[in-house]
Amino acid sequence: MVTEPAYEFETQDILLNVGPQHPSTHGVFRMVLSVDGEVVRDLVPHIGYLHRGAEKLCETMDYRQGIGFMDRTEYLAAFNAELSYVMAVEALTDIEVPERAQWIRMILCELNRLSSHFMFMGAFGIDVGVFATPFIYAWIGREALIDLFEEVSGDRMMFAYFRPGGLAWDVPRNFKQRVNEALVVAEQGIKDFDTMLTENEIFVARTTGVGKISAAEAIDWGMSGPSIRASGVPLDVRRDEPYLMYDQVEWDVIVGENGDVYDRYYCRLLEMRESVKIIRQCLEKMPDTGPIMPEKMPRMLRTAPGEVYVRTEAPRGEYGVYLVSKGGNRPHRLKVRSACLANLQALRDMSVGQYVADAIVVLGSIDIVLSEVDR
Amino acid sequence: MNADLFGLELNVWADAAIRLVMVVTLMTVVVMGYTYLERKIIARFNRRLGPTKTGPWGLLQAVADALKLVGKEDLRPRSADPWTFELGPYMIFIPIFMGFVIVPFIADFHIRLLDLGLIYFVAISSVSIVGWVMAGWGSDNRYAMLGALRSVAQGISYELPLVLSLLAVGMYAGSFNLGVIIAGQDVVPNIVWQPMAAFIFFIAALAELNRTPFDIPLGESEVVGGPFVEYSGIRWSMFQLGEYASIFIMSLVFSAVFLGGWMWPFGEDLGRWFQVLLSGIKAGGFFFVVVWIRISVPRMRIDQLMGYSWKVLLPLALVQVLVNGLVMVNGWHEVTLLISGLVGVAVLVTVTGRVVAAPSVRPGPARPLMPTPAIAQGEAVS
Amino acid sequence: MTNESTDQTETAPEDDLSSTIWPQVDRALAGITARGEAGRIDLIVHVPRDEVIDALRRLKTDETLSFDYLRSLTAVDNEDEGMDVVYHLYSTTTRHNVTVKATLPNEDLSLDTATPVWKGANWLERETAEMFGIRFHGHPDPRNLLMPEDMTDVFPLRKSHPLAEIEILQGEGMGYPEEGA
Repeated sequence: MVTEPAYEFETQDILLNVGPQHPSTHGVFRMVLSVDGEVVRDLVPHIGYLHRGAEKLCETMDYRQGIGFMDRTEYLAAFNAELSYVMAVEALTDIEVPERAQWIRMILCELNRLSSHFMFMGAFGIDVGVFATPFIYAWIGREALIDLFEEVSGDRMMFAYFRPGGLAWDVPRNFKQRVNEALVVAEQGIKDFDTMLTENEIFVARTTGVGKISAAEAIDWGMSGPSIRASGVPLDVRRDEPYLMYDQVEWDVIVGENGDVYDRYYCRLLEMRESVKIIRQCLEKMPDTGPIMPEKMPRMLRTAPGEVYVRTEAPRGEYGVYLVSKGGNRPHRLKVRSACLANLQALRDMSVGQYVADAIVVLGSIDIVLSEVDR
Repeated sequence: MNADLFGLELNVWADAAIRLVMVVTLMTVVVMGYTYLERKIIARFNRRLGPTKTGPWGLLQAVADALKLVGKEDLRPRSADPWTFELGPYMIFIPIFMGFVIVPFIADFHIRLLDLGLIYFVAISSVSIVGWVMAGWGSDNRYAMLGALRSVAQGISYELPLVLSLLAVGMYAGSFNLGVIIAGQDVVPNIVWQPMAAFIFFIAALAELNRTPFDIPLGESEVVGGPFVEYSGIRWSMFQLGEYASIFIMSLVFSAVFLGGWMWPFGEDLGRWFQVLLSGIKAGGFFFVVVWIRISVPRMRIDQLMGYSWKVLLPLALVQVLVNGLVMVNGWHEVTLLISGLVGVAVLVTVTGRVVAAPSVRPGPARPLMPTPAIAQGEAVS
Repeated sequence: MTNESTDQTETAPEDDLSSTIWPQVDRALAGITARGEAGRIDLIVHVPRDEVIDALRRLKTDETLSFDYLRSLTAVDNEDEGMDVVYHLYSTTTRHNVTVKATLPNEDLSLDTATPVWKGANWLERETAEMFGIRFHGHPDPRNLLMPEDMTDVFPLRKSHPLAEIEILQGEGMGYPEEGA
């Protein structure tokens, strides 16, 4: 029979301050862990280090100038961020976007999703502790895509290419061929990750059953994107409220079963395959020539009074833009609904009770971009 | 009192001094070579080129690194414990260096082949754990402390399978003297008769060396370098020197104990340079596999790491010792050892794989979507 | 929301909203003086601020609507007309959207917290509180979220807060605690 010892060792939890300067906080994020040995007992996230007041600044700019700020709120998926913003402006001004511009927007957004997920794969590989290899491999796939973005928009990260009404200028003549070339590289990259991580025993052991969150909890926290789909909620704005031409292409919403870190990783991997599928169909259906802007655009965009909440599916989840106008050429209020902010809220629930190493992996698995969290 | 060094008659003390200087030089050169090789190997695995600019094929990269590290300021945090902080690197480095005493590099060059060489090696190499704790505690940094505690837990847990696998070979060879063990492998290396011991030794050696997947004391993404986090300049380079020196010594011991060192497969007739080449190839092969593993697999978690040692490696190492004992007492044929060893390896691999089976349910396409809601929404966007 | 639409309130014809989910929302909010307004994309429901949490809870638990997902929570400063607190709701089962608005008078910028209804409202309310100076009664963790912890007397997203002053505010004299204090 086991008897309780007459004395009890007194232990004390220590506070472990992870970040804002830490290799795996993906930017300037800080979390204070209360650690009992190796087990996380409490976690307090601190954000705001990258808060630049993009919403306030946009109120002082006219509608076209705001595009640049949207790029900077979500620098890994700037096309997706721009898309929400220009769509909100279009909804307020009743501008019809030409079909060809919509196809090009859709291709670029999906390519951006690929490049963003590549970034996730690489960074996540580092988080679980593979030295350099996934990161470099991610860079190979990402580089091909970024080169393409540069050819199209003139910039590698902050594109500012979408405009209310269409696009800033037409794509290069060899656009379709270049997209196909980039897709070949990206597909090889997806395959590389599938062979490198998906079946790797230690990777599987590190990620299954870690950072679980149930479907109901995920909805309650307002999570979105792959992070909620991994919990089994088929929540995808592209499918639920189709924008652009998403109702004209065939693709699947990827959902997970367990809501753990492994599912979040694997959902993203499968989503990349779906993105490739979407882009291939877009290339087929996209007209080769045609206008990319409406015939008549006002020299100065003025919106009718009103408000819209436009949401699109960015790589990390729902990127919403709430635009309130009182007339005139600048927004009265612009609110960016950040997917990462909502996903990050659930971090504490997902990591408490697990090991320190798991907390890092869980943070990596929700794929935060701090500039989007703080705006 | 005279001793024989490559045919030279020398005073014992002079002989010892010359040997030590040679070993220190060799070790420094090999460590530099290892860092260069590691960079190159990792780069090739990553589809990169690695160092190319410093010297021919980037060969002087290690020298450049050393110069940079020596030139850096030697920082000590204000709140650090000065003595433990400053002495920590030495406590790691010196025991590792002392391990070189028993290593037979080639047939007629070694410092001292002790009769209890393997025991000495195991004992002295675990002393460096003290240095890790000193570095972690002295830094007054929680990451360093966490890393130091992890390193102690890991070092002690993996010491046991390491010792037991060496014990198995010692039983089989009838000696703990590395010279005798090598001499016994002139026809068949020990890895053939003791495959499971070799496997266990290799895994435990990875853990002792804090290499991936057992690099949790260092874990850059978790504890940011563990005990090294507060060190800079020359002291930090001593950690690195110690790390690579311990890989070197571990690779030499592995090649001596399991691969027949300089002996197998050509015997000692082919001359000194052939022995150097043979030793080098075997040690280099060990190092290559270590680097290969480093760039391929993630880091384990602490509970998995401890569980693997105590629940898988230790029992199997005990079984190996038991089997060796039975074979030797009953005088069975050595093939029994091979068969039982291979079965053991199979068990080891199966158990390792089974513990972490991939999840049965994986993400996939969503099930058929629910029907469109009966009540129409407002206008759709665009 | 505009002056024009505010004036419209008394005369808002019900049949305008019959193609939307307003009838269901109206039924679910029986007893609450809610007013529907057709937005450009989503239906907008104006609710008095004292009843907003009750309304949100009813919208969430109503079986046919089940707005279980809080998309966004923010505020709009309408200067003289007070502040609107805006909730964007979504139903993951029926895929309806609705925007709930509560107008706060400038004299009393406070409201009950929505955290008991959705956990996700936590940080959104913290952000809204620090940016607009709205107090959410009963919030479990009413610290600043994005701004420095002691910067509780400045509300940057209010219209009265000029952009130019930000530089001065971030300079010396903010009384930040010492490093490591």
